[in-house]
Amino acid sequence: MVKHEQSMAAAGDVVVSGLNVGKTFAAGTVVALENANFDIKRGSFVSLVGPSGCGKSTLLRLVSGLIEPTSGEIEVHGTPVNGPRADISMMFQKATLLDWRTSLENVLLPTEINGTPSKADKNRALDLLKLVGLEDFAFSFPAQLSGGMQQRVALARLLQTGADILLLDEPFGALDEFTREHLNTELMRIVAEVRATAIFVTHNITEAIFLADQVVVMTSRPGRMAKIINVDLERPRPLSIQTSVEFNKLVEDVRETLGAV
Amino acid sequence: MSVSDQPIPLSGRILDIGVRFLPHFVLFAVIIGAWEISVATGLITSIIIPRPSAIWSAIVELYITEGTIYRHFFITLTEAVVGFAIGAGVAVSLAIASSLWDPFRRYVTPYAVVLNVTPGIALTPVIIAWFGYGMGSKIALAAIISFFPIFVNTLTGLVQVDEDREELFNSLGASNVQVFRKLRAPAALPLMFAGFKIGLTTALIGAVVAEFAQATDGVGVLMSRFSFQLNMAASLATLLSMTVIGLILFYSMEFLDDRIVFWRRESRRAAASRARARTWAAQAKK
Repeated sequence: MVKHEQSMAAAGDVVVSGLNVGKTFAAGTVVALENANFDIKRGSFVSLVGPSGCGKSTLLRLVSGLIEPTSGEIEVHGTPVNGPRADISMMFQKATLLDWRTSLENVLLPTEINGTPSKADKNRALDLLKLVGLEDFAFSFPAQLSGGMQQRVALARLLQTGADILLLDEPFGALDEFTREHLNTELMRIVAEVRATAIFVTHNITEAIFLADQVVVMTSRPGRMAKIINVDLERPRPLSIQTSVEFNKLVEDVRETLGAV
Repeated sequence: MSVSDQPIPLSGRILDIGVRFLPHFVLFAVIIGAWEISVATGLITSIIIPRPSAIWSAIVELYITEGTIYRHFFITLTEAVVGFAIGAGVAVSLAIASSLWDPFRRYVTPYAVVLNVTPGIALTPVIIAWFGYGMGSKIALAAIISFFPIFVNTLTGLVQVDEDREELFNSLGASNVQVFRKLRAPAALPLMFAGFKIGLTTALIGAVVAEFAQATDGVGVLMSRFSFQLNMAASLATLLSMTVIGLILFYSMEFLDDRIVFWRRESRRAAASRARARTWAAQAKK
């Protein structure tokens, strides 16, 4: 990811790009995001980190097509975003599973919305549940699962869409520290395995750096991209990397950027 | 394996049930005994309240030796069920239409409210004038007074918005029809069934009240006939049949509720979960 200066979508490797993207609410009185320029490369993991009100969730919703920018333009795979699309899929802080569906049926929901699921779709859903470590809970209902397990189902559902761009809005934010660390490790493995591009929103600096190839530091009032930091730590990353000198230099860098504004 | 996983021997289970229900039996026996004694000693006039033993003989006569009750029993049961079905059908249709189309809701709601605040059973004379002495008027009244609780509950269930789930459906590109069928309708089911349970009980009230007013058959007409003859024992024995109808209706709905809205109870969830796993295994074999 590089801060945008010249032309948009120059390289074929760029899958998501934004040019002067801005979003205001309440008839222009609240500036949620101002003048955001970005290119996101295929297969990269990008974290958006910042305090609440910095526009990170707004930016994610703009990319997803759930809301429209007030100014500027966002392109995905070279075509402008104007509404939800099949190559983008989003995961939320709440698992938002349907209580009356089993894990398997919940994972199949995106497929059902596009038509009748085939035998292959069903087997794929089961494979994805295996991928997230829930093969023994395929026929359990959400109320029979823990919070962490529910988020794993939501992750499998996200992957079932077949989208190659995954938008993750604090997906494990409501879970306890241990579960979250564990699921973050799992998330890295899974995203690498399916070769997806991921945009991950969080307000946890450690988490943002641990997962990402690039960390976008955002500041609030108005929401703005303050700095983009490249994370050149080798993969796969063990949890212990978080105590390394390089890692802590990055944490310091993020903190300074947040504190400087 | 914990101790509770061990099967308890049958004799133990019978003993367990006996111990659990013994206080209830004792209390019931004391009440009935006191009642019997106070009527027998003349403390209460038997014309006002008959002795429990007299009610028992009336029950035996009505339900066993003569069996007169059954025809009336099934007529009232039919009136309540058919009335409920009509009331529920109209209520659910209007609630769905109201939830989908705002102007419709604005036009329908005032009528529904007026219908609700007007005591439904006050319509009895009018309904009988319109539909006659037969089952028609009873069904109509049952339908009218069961309408409102079902309408309100279904509408409330359908318009409650779970923003996070709606956003999920939007992000998946779901159509309005899909949002309704896969999200709003199933999410409304618990409240809808709460409405059905109230509606079914009120449908029985409607049927019986209309029978009291003017009818040729039904437990209501039987009961008022016995009361006119000052045959209190037979009258109260007939009342028992209304309780039985009420119980049948309530538990039938409870049964359906438990199976259709299975996801609220752990035991039902577990059963549904096993059933889904079996269906999957059967399909996988093909």
